Order: sequence, then structure tokens, then C-alpha cells
Amino acid sequence: MVRPISMPKLGQSEEVATIVRWLRKEGDVVAKGDILFEIETDKALLEVESFFEGTLLKIVAAEGQTVPVQSTVGYIGDPGEPIPETPAPPQPRVEVPRTSGEVRHATPSVPVAEVPKARGARAAMPAREIRPGGKPLPILVAEEPSRFFRISPRAAGLAREAVIDPSPIIGTGPSGRIVARDVKAYLAARGYGRLRITPTAKKLAARETLDILSLEGKGDSGRITVADVQRAIAERPKPMSRMRQVIAERLTQSFASTPHFFVTVSVDMTDLEVFRSELKAQGALYSITDFILKAVALALREFPTVNSTTDGKNIRWHSKVHLGMAVSLEQGLVVPVIRDADEMTLAEIHDCATELTAKARAGKLTPAEMTGSTFTVSNMGMLDVENFTAIINPGEGAILAVSSAQKQPVVREDRVTIRSVMKMTLSSDHRLIDGALAARFVNAIKSKLEEITLWKRLA
Amino acid sequence: METFGVVIIGAGPGGYPAAIRAAQLGATVAIVEKEELGGTCLNWGCIPTKTLIASSDLYARLKAGGEMGLQVDGAAFDYAAMTARKEQVVGVLRNGIKQLLKANGVKILKGTAAFQTRNRIAVHPQASSGDPGSASTVIGAEKTIIATGATSSMPGFLPRHKRVLESRSFLELRALPSSVLILGGGVVGCEFACLLAQLGVRVTVVELLEDILWSLDADVRREVRRHMEKALGIRILTGRALENISADEGSVRGTVGEEQVKADVLLAALGRKPVTEELKLENAGLATNPQGFIEVDEYGRTRVATIYAIGDVTGGPQLAHAATSQGLVAAENTCSRTLRKNEKYIPNCIFTSPEIGTVGLSEQEARAPGREIKAGKFMLGALGKALAMGGTMGFVKWVADAETDQLLGAQVVGPHATELIAEATTAIRAELTATELAHTVHAHPTLAEAWMESAHLLVGTPIHSLPRKKK
Repeated sequence: MVRPISMPKLGQSEEVATIVRWLRKEGDVVAKGDILFEIETDKALLEVESFFEGTLLKIVAAEGQTVPVQSTVGYIGDPGEPIPETPAPPQPRVEVPRTSGEVRHATPSVPVAEVPKARGARAAMPAREIRPGGKPLPILVAEEPSRFFRISPRAAGLAREAVIDPSPIIGTGPSGRIVARDVKAYLAARGYGRLRITPTAKKLAARETLDILSLEGKGDSGRITVADVQRAIAERPKPMSRMRQVIAERLTQSFASTPHFFVTVSVDMTDLEVFRSELKAQGALYSITDFILKAVALALREFPTVNSTTDGKNIRWHSKVHLGMAVSLEQGLVVPVIRDADEMTLAEIHDCATELTAKARAGKLTPAEMTGSTFTVSNMGMLDVENFTAIINPGEGAILAVSSAQKQPVVREDRVTIRSVMKMTLSSDHRLIDGALAARFVNAIKSKLEEITLWKRLA
Repeated sequence: METFGVVIIGAGPGGYPAAIRAAQLGATVAIVEKEELGGTCLNWGCIPTKTLIASSDLYARLKAGGEMGLQVDGAAFDYAAMTARKEQVVGVLRNGIKQLLKANGVKILKGTAAFQTRNRIAVHPQASSGDPGSASTVIGAEKTIIATGATSSMPGFLPRHKRVLESRSFLELRALPSSVLILGGGVVGCEFACLLAQLGVRVTVVELLEDILWSLDADVRREVRRHMEKALGIRILTGRALENISADEGSVRGTVGEEQVKADVLLAALGRKPVTEELKLENAGLATNPQGFIEVDEYGRTRVATIYAIGDVTGGPQLAHAATSQGLVAAENTCSRTLRKNEKYIPNCIFTSPEIGTVGLSEQEARAPGREIKAGKFMLGALGKALAMGGTMGFVKWVADAETDQLLGAQVVGPHATELIAEATTAIRAELTATELAHTVHAHPTLAEAWMESAHLLVGTPIHSLPRKKK
């Protein structure tokens, strides 16, 4: 029997996922548990196994396609079995910001056979709402540009031939429709006749649906050359990856809705660095991050308010300490979570952090490994920074930004001496955490890191 | 101390146009030349060789006159008269340059230039210039353009002997040797080989690389090599070194693999090395790169803000017209606030028999990963004009981007190839597409029609080619 393969739902927040790669092709025989395809969600790259055995009869969602979770991406069954008629999975719309440099009326790149007949398409369009005044409401063209743009076929042909974007043209035809004379007047007004462009440049611009009026020519006497068009192509806005879009959304939400405030302390890391080298000589390879994570976990137990969240009306305490650790990847940032960090030994934290980092770099973190943190540490120590502030991870009360340890002259017992100093800045949700509390909390971490007897006991 | 707005070192095909352009733009200009106005190109390169080739080519055509219905008996040549004509042509052109420089108010200083500082240049008169006693002059230079060019390299393994020559000393011969061994199958070696073979000299070319004219596409090389070997009777030994070279009163000898080779003279055509030794670049804060060239950016600027360099001394294509173009760009850039870049498309003309012209990307270069290209080759033998002229060898070839249809490169081999390449250069620089070139009307009957026909091939609609067999 034919069974649909559906896009799995992997976490609370995922609504869509992108198929990165099919590992099996149509006609392949698959066993239960075989990996069928790889997907990219907001947070990770994952492999999806087959729940059935049989022959992969059809792939519905192609590589690179983003589809809603739980929609059908393919079918498994016995060879020759009829496949149920299904519409192609709905395409989530990728909204690209418009710029004047783009021709908006371009026909969508759908195979010709699938384009509905013009009459049908018009009938399917929502009726325009009529206001009491009788004038139609302005329509937001950004959503579905090609449908509502009113231009005569001849005018559109002229614009296409001229390789320009007709959208700024004011129509003088019936109902403000752009007609041929409008395009001609527009071209004259914009000095199109004086525009100089090489034949290849024009052809390339037409293929890439650029508006040649928006191009700057750097050739002889301002002539637009292939190099100018290629520069415009490179500068054209492209949709961000799903991961970047999620990062953008979450950071904006957090920074806009949470009153952040910042407290910085300097930590003398000299003794800890010496101790770490001693451990290393003995074969115990701890990183500075391991010590910081442990110190933070200990401090959070002493200051439960920092390990809580608020929506502005209610406060929610977390009985557990789940530490998020920011890991930067080429494509963006992920925050895997060390669960129950307060109950872990230094060695356990080290092992857990190492494993999560490796998985993050390989894009193999599961959604479960990236959710539920109660506090986050962002360490840019290896990036040679003096100090920085971090934005609170949504759903948490604070975040610690750790900078590089740098050798500095320090006054000790009225003498100047050289010490290794590391700055840490705590960003707190001020609705929850007062200045004094934040100060006591960061100083608690500081004193732990500086207290070498503690580490001798813990390591 | 007299100070100039622009001082140009070297009055070759790069330097003298730069001087004139700077003067046209209102600068006070001095040009320093240690030998002759016109540089290598005019005195010991392009012009003298092309003058001789004009004679040898005509002689070869006369001898083949029977095919054209001519009866030419007893055709003979006088090499001394040919060289005298060459001297006369060079003299006329040299004088022309002098007149041009003077008319534009450029001060000509005879001698060798050496930097004292980046803005001060000493000009030492040459001992050979007739006034050995005269002291050197020091001039100030707000801007300097180095255009000292290059000279034939004579590697140490070659014996120092009057039978071992390079191109310049070869041109000074007043009588032709009866046999010549040419070491190096590059442009210079092949041009001399064809010139000499047309005059009946027995020529052997030895090239270490796999083939002669190695930088060209294989089909172009094949066409030229076939003619050189079959029609001109030149022996071409490739992929092997010339070893055990010795010269005595009677001949020059060497071995190529197992084989003994012997000739009256050996012509070394082993490339050229930049001339920088006497410039004392270090006084100006400049140095050459490991290959000996003065490095410049795309605007012709060296590392020192006031000093530009152009032509052979900067590396790049060793071509007179490249130097001229760079000279004009550098001169404009010294005198203007808006900078112009050096031109990208430099045609390359090789005066072998048959001639070769190339510009832009070769088919080989254009087939870079990630680029779809198309190439269209049209045999000249299919043209009425070529048949009428009695020259049926050779072809033209366009290379275009398969996606945008942009013409990326062109090669032509055959009669008048060096003239034909001009159209392709214009088309490529103007970023024309193959379609437009194909639609451009070309006069009939001409050889230039081949460009149109070849472009038609790219667009897929040839008239004068047999349709491709359907697969």
C-alpha cells in the first residue's frame, strides 16, 4: 500500500522545514530506519528516517524546497502502485524587500504548463473591497506583485524591451492602467535616450530582471558594462537563510521587549590560567569556558532570581539550571543547552560542552538539545575582544558575555604588577533583576573564578 | 635644476606617446632616451622585422605566382638592399617621432636616467653618444613614468661568439646565413623562422615545450605548424632541449636528444628581460619583484605615489601597442584627478606565415570551471575572397559565453590575420553579443566575412557551412 512520507514536526516553534538533500532517489528500495533525506529547520540540520519499508515511488518536495511540517514530501509503496493525486506542497512565501533596482512585474518562474489561464486566475482573485466613497482600497502590492499590477500588454512589452521596472510609472489609462504612452513618457523623462549600455550588459540585465535605469555605468562616458550589471546582481537583496531569519526575529523580539541593563566586572584569571596549565600537564584538558560554566552554575544556585523569567506580570522561577552556551557557526549562531548544569561536576560539564559544540559545528543538534535553557553564557574570549554586551535569549532573565583575558598592569598592594584580566558583562532583564542583585551575581562569579582553592577541590 | 611636471624614462612605443599626451594635457615634459627614439619596436623589433617580412612575403608570393597565372622567371633578392630599405623605413619613422615630440614641446634628453630621490633624476650621457666628457645633468620630476622596456635575454649557457646572436644583432647582419638554428619556438623565434625560410634559409627551430607558440589554442598551433613544416620546410623539434652548444669559425653545433644539429648561426629567441639595472630604483624607494619587473596597479601606479610604470618593464604582454595604451593611461592619470584603468583587451598579432591574431580569452582559457562557453570556427577556405586571393588556409574562431552570448575571445589564423583581429577587438571591448555580430553586415567579398559566418555558427544559423549532422 502507498504511504505518504511527511515532513516531521521536530519542535514547538518549527512550522516549516527545508529539504536540503534527498539521500534516496525515486525507485530506490528503502528499509525501515533508512535515512531518506536531510532537512534544515530554524535550528539544525537533521536526517529523517523512513518509518516504512518499500520503494520510494515519488518525491514531491524537491531539494531546496521549504514546506510546512506534516505535509507530504513523497510516497513509499510497491512498484507500480498508483500514487494518489496530491497538490504540490504549499510554498511558504519568501518575502524579498523591494528595491527600485528590480523589475517587479516579472513572471514567476513556474513551468508554463502550471500557469493557470488568465481568466481563471482573475476569477480566483479576492474581490476588491469597496469603501463607502466608492474608491477601491489601496492594495499592498508587496505581497503578490504580479497580480495587482495594472499594465497593458503592449506597455509591459515596451518596459521589458527597455529593461526597466515599470512600477514607478503613473498610469493614465482606464483605472490608472499603465499604457504604452506612459512608458514612453517615463523613458523620455528619465533620460532613457541618453543611457548608454553595452549589448551584453543589457542582455544580462534583462535576464536578471534588473532595471537598467537604476544602474551606474562605469565604462567610457558612463556606459553601463557587464561589470556594472554584475555588481548590481551581487548587491541585490536575497532572502536570508531560515536560521538567520529566526535569529533576526528572536533577537529583535528580545531586545525590543526586554529592558536590558548591563554590569561589567574584571576578573583576574592569572591563577586559574596557571592551574589550568598544571591540569593540562597532568592530562586533564579543561577549557576556560568549562570553568566559567561551572562558576555560573554555582552562582545561579545562590541567586535564583537570576535563573528566572518574567512576562512583565508574572515571575517564573526555574528549579533547574539549564545553561545555554552560544556557539557561532559560519551560517549563524546556535545555543545548545547543558541540562542540569548545577548538578554536574567540572568534568561532566567539560564532556557535555565538548559534545554539544561538536554537534553544533556539524549541524547535528536536535531541537531538544537547543531548547529549555534558563541562562546563557556567550564567550567571545577566543576572538580577542576587550568587552561586549549580549542580548538576552528570549525566555531567560539574563545572559553573561565573556571577553578575552588580556595581560594588563594591575595595582596589587600598592604595586603595579602584570595580571591576566578578563571582562564579563551581565545583561539583565531590569524588570526582574535590580542593579544591586546583578552586581552581587557577577561578583559571585568573579570571586569563584579567582578562588583557586575552590577549583583545586572541584577539578 | 630644471624641474618638469612629468619625466618619462624611455622613448619607446610606450614612452613617447605618454610624453605627447602629457604635453597635450598641459604638463611640462622631458623624455630621457639612452639609445634611439622609438625603442625596441621601431629600431630592433616590430618595424624592421615587418619591413623584412614584407620583402620576404612578396618574394614567396612571386615564386608561387604560377598558381595565379603569372610567369615569374629568375625572381631573386638582394638581402643588403632589403636591409637598406629597412634602415630607410626606420629612419623615416624615427624622424617622425622626433618631429612630434618637438612640436609638442617635449624636451628630449639623451642619456641614461638614474633616480637620486623619488623626485630627482640624474641623466648621464652615454659614452657612445659622442661626448664622453660631458657631465651628467640633474632634473626635477613631479611625476615620473618609467618606460624602459625589455631586452633579449642571453642565458649563460650560450657561448659568447659572433655566430651566436639574438634578434637585435641578427638584424644587423648584412648578408643572410645559409642555415640558422633558432633556439626558442615563441613569437620571435617563429617570426624569424618564417621570414628566413621564405628567403631560402635552412631553418631548424628547437623548443623545450611540447609545441611552438605554446600559449595559443591547439587548433591555431596546428594550422601554423603544418604550414611552417610542410610549405616552408622548417624543421621544428619540440619537447626537447638544445644541448652541448658550441661555436667555432665554421659553424654552430648542438645536440637535440640523440641528434646532432648544425647551422651557420644560432639565433637565441628565449624571451626578454626588463631593463631596470641603471635606474637605481632603490633611491626612489622602489624595488623590482622576484621576476625583475616593476609592479604596478591597474592605473599604472607603482608603490611610490608619483612614479608610474608602463610597458615591458611591468611584465604583462610584451607588446608595443599594450605599452602605448598603458602610456596614454599613465600620462592621463599623472595629469588628471579622475583615474582611468589600463585596457583589458590587448590584441596579439604574430607575423608568422600564416599570420595569427588573437584577443580576449582563448578557447582553452574560456573553458574555466563554472562557465558554459560556445566556440564557432569558420574555415577561410569557404570564403569567396580567400579562394580568389589564392589563400585557402586558416580559420577564424569566436569564443562566447553560452548564457549571455557575450563574445569573450577571438582567434584568427591565415592571410591578413593581424588586420582582421581589429574588428574582433572592437566587438569584444564593446561587449557585443554573437547575435549582434552575426547581424552586422560585412562587405562581400572580404576575408572579414569570416567573423560574421563564425558568429552565425554560434547563434546556430550558418549559411556557408554544411548543417551539422543531427544526433
